[in-house]
Amino acid sequence: MRNVAIIGCGQAKHGRRTDVNQAELVAEAVWAAVEDAGIAPEDIEAYAVGNMQGFGGIAQPDLVFADYIGAAGKPMQRVATGGTVGGSVAHLGYYEVASGMYDVVLAVSWEKHSDSAEPGATTGLLHVAYANLSYMMKVGMDMRSFAIMGLAGAAAGISAYQAAFYMARSGCGIEHFDMVAAKARRNAAKNKYAHLKWPNCTADDIAKTEMLIWPMRFGHVCPASDGASCVIYASEEAVKKLGVEKPVAWVKGVAAYADEEADQGEAYQGTAVVDYSDQTGAILSAMKAYERAGIKDPKKEIDVAEIYAPFPHQELMFSERLGFFDDGTAWKAVEEGVTEIDGDFPICPSGGVNATNAIGSSGMQRVVEAALQIMGKAEEHQVPKDVRNAVAHAWGGQVQFNTVMVLGDSPKR
Amino acid sequence: MGVVRYEGLPFVARFRWNTGKIMEKFYGGFAERQILAAKCENCGYTVVPPRVICPKCSSKMNENNLVKLDGRGVVLSYTVVRKKLDGKGGFVTLDKPEVIAAVKLNGADSMIFAKIGDVDVEDIKSGMEVVPVWAEKPEGRLSDLLYFRPG
Amino acid sequence: MKVAVIGYAVSNLEWDAEKTREETVFEVAKSALENAGVSREDVGTVISASTDFLDGRTISNCMLIGGSGAYLKDESKAEEDGMYAALYAAQRLMAGVHDIALAVSHTHSWIFNPHQVSQYMLEPWFDRQNDLINGITLAALQARMYMEKHGVDELDLAEVCVKNLRNAAKVPYALRKLHDITVEEILESEMFSDPLTELMIAPPCDGAAAVVLASENVAEEICENPVWIKGIGNSCDNYLRDRDLAKLNSLEIAARKAYRMAGIEEPFREIDVAEITERFAHQELMAYEALSFCREGKGRVLIEEEMTEVYGDMPVNPSGGALAGDPICATGMIRLIEAAKQIRGEAENQVDGCRTALAHAQWGLCAQKNLVFILGDEP
Repeated sequence: MRNVAIIGCGQAKHGRRTDVNQAELVAEAVWAAVEDAGIAPEDIEAYAVGNMQGFGGIAQPDLVFADYIGAAGKPMQRVATGGTVGGSVAHLGYYEVASGMYDVVLAVSWEKHSDSAEPGATTGLLHVAYANLSYMMKVGMDMRSFAIMGLAGAAAGISAYQAAFYMARSGCGIEHFDMVAAKARRNAAKNKYAHLKWPNCTADDIAKTEMLIWPMRFGHVCPASDGASCVIYASEEAVKKLGVEKPVAWVKGVAAYADEEADQGEAYQGTAVVDYSDQTGAILSAMKAYERAGIKDPKKEIDVAEIYAPFPHQELMFSERLGFFDDGTAWKAVEEGVTEIDGDFPICPSGGVNATNAIGSSGMQRVVEAALQIMGKAEEHQVPKDVRNAVAHAWGGQVQFNTVMVLGDSPKR
Repeated sequence: MGVVRYEGLPFVARFRWNTGKIMEKFYGGFAERQILAAKCENCGYTVVPPRVICPKCSSKMNENNLVKLDGRGVVLSYTVVRKKLDGKGGFVTLDKPEVIAAVKLNGADSMIFAKIGDVDVEDIKSGMEVVPVWAEKPEGRLSDLLYFRPG
Repeated sequence: MKVAVIGYAVSNLEWDAEKTREETVFEVAKSALENAGVSREDVGTVISASTDFLDGRTISNCMLIGGSGAYLKDESKAEEDGMYAALYAAQRLMAGVHDIALAVSHTHSWIFNPHQVSQYMLEPWFDRQNDLINGITLAALQARMYMEKHGVDELDLAEVCVKNLRNAAKVPYALRKLHDITVEEILESEMFSDPLTELMIAPPCDGAAAVVLASENVAEEICENPVWIKGIGNSCDNYLRDRDLAKLNSLEIAARKAYRMAGIEEPFREIDVAEITERFAHQELMAYEALSFCREGKGRVLIEEEMTEVYGDMPVNPSGGALAGDPICATGMIRLIEAAKQIRGEAENQVDGCRTALAHAQWGLCAQKNLVFILGDEP
């Protein structure tokens, strides 16, 4: 297998970006990455792109702005896997190089929530739902059941059930969610690209926010951000040829194993996964990614992780599923400050998805942040310990897709 | 089984796209009955509507790259539309066919797609010169540019 | 690492399918695995192709994990034509991560008019505010620009349709099978946006396709007659306003790359058959030129001299192409399958002695994006 490195990273400023259109937002991240990599646009041989089309209201938006990102006349491949999409685009870009087809590939993913006239993600979800509703009517589904299913089906709805399952299994309390959310806001304050920043935020501050759906408070919920994140991959030969001398992050293993969907089930028959906190797909993805990366003990060998956790319980749940802590013990680690930036096992030092969620961008941002930690370029939120291996994770679909990427400071031998 | 499509859906899903600053200038120009383009300083390519990245050489552009076009253009290609989409997936047969054309504006290298009016569908030809028809009281909105007509 | 197609399946192309998308996808995935002689357990990775707008649901592959056999498999989704899913699957094999891959694609067009989705593909700040612009009217503008530039007339476009729809008459799964169709009938069918009449526009329909790919490590062990992917070319053009619409520039780039990779110097002589995605009749003529089957502007000569008929020197679309049925995301993958069938000698309109075949998929308005595979009977 070919060794592939991340030689450049770029992010747009995340937040509510009504000052730019979707194309301009993506271009911001792309040209920042090209500059960071120190290469010429002509060096880029191919592109990997993706977002969730419904949110920005453009079908195949990459075709509209191929010539904003230097892709005109070049190969461009698009993937979309829901919330996972950033992670999936990162994997696609990696495979484009690893396959031997190209030497330098740019991967970018993004989301523009603020183009919706309705709040949050509502427009995006409903916009693409038009067609499927006629389908549901055809199979005889009652509109009332749709409304019930819709309420349960949106990400926050599923996540509330998931949090409850996780609490029952692990014995953690809402106060642990408060701690995780406070950490996210505090870390975000140190990240210039982040959205919700709250220096010195404490668990008590979060505990004072309104309870939305038990066990989730307002302070637990991620924002709907606009943003774009980008990485540039190069093969080991290209790293030499391009004369890259700055530290790079090597991709050591990737995997994305899909589980069955939660909630609705095959053709809406309700035959789906029952315990949304089970996450067999995440366990399998991590196992396979570690195997490909030659990691035997993630607890010891992984130095920092960027977990895709729009809701705080997911940081706890996935940090167990990815093998960083024993089952049901992550909340104890949080109590002890293990996952803080200066802790033994820092998780989401960037503030993570809980503080910044531009859906399509979020998965890629995890890869960017993990790479920055390895390159030592995370600035204020750089973890103080040596970073040799980092994990970037994303989840999506109906809590069924997981992408895991292991990055390292040296190529695999 | 009959097929039911989106009648009586219990919601609306609308967008309010941010257009970016340079596009706002473009709409603003309409108030003065003016069409603005962006000319790339690096490769000389002139693009309309204006944008922040040159589509040919990827150079960065901004408001300083804006140039005024005289509004006149040439029809590169046209089509007489007999069926149009209703926005919800259905085709509507037009009682009176409408003409749409690819127009290259004087001074621009890119083309735009625009309605052509005040013309008999039999008479429209490629290579025909056209001029914009503006709303009586333009307000700096996209709807100020009504259509193009031969002239 | 070389990659081969070792199995395939295409569903019936129809309108208003009674089967669910999940069932259709399940059936093609299962048949493709059977065709390849492998089981789900042998498959390392699954790539699907579908799009949220066409499927009318966000994250359109959510519910296809069971149907496509991707449950607890290394999985992803290409949000464009199925041939791009096949490309991604091939890349995963070429990287040496997996040995057997399944790529599936589907669209059920009855759920939502794909032509309406073509309007959603427009840039929203200017073009989309004009309600007359959509995939069909833009294709009509492209057709006229191309025709006027090269002296092509409506009859040439109709000839393309006649050839493809007659070819389709023998293809069991095709939607438009019109054995006795005439040029007059094509021209007299309902006018949508001149010069394009109803029969010059590929009919969106419901359908699915699947291919099984294998790396050289295992292909010959499993399969008696693997079809090898010898060349791949992929390119995306500028957005509409900054493109020369009279030319398929990105297809030309893609073809050149694929030819170079496959070592093809004289495509007309070396390629035995081409299966291309022509969403509109004129695009087939434009593709002849972009694929270097003839010089620029001479596409009409090929059709006038019957060179692209099944019995001609350069057969194109013996399966009937997209004009015979267009299940959007599956259309390009069906071209790939038909090209592979020609090499295996299993096609309904078999070209004699076929050893090298070309498959083409397009995506975007006026074929903005193009992908070309060259297939051969040996690695």
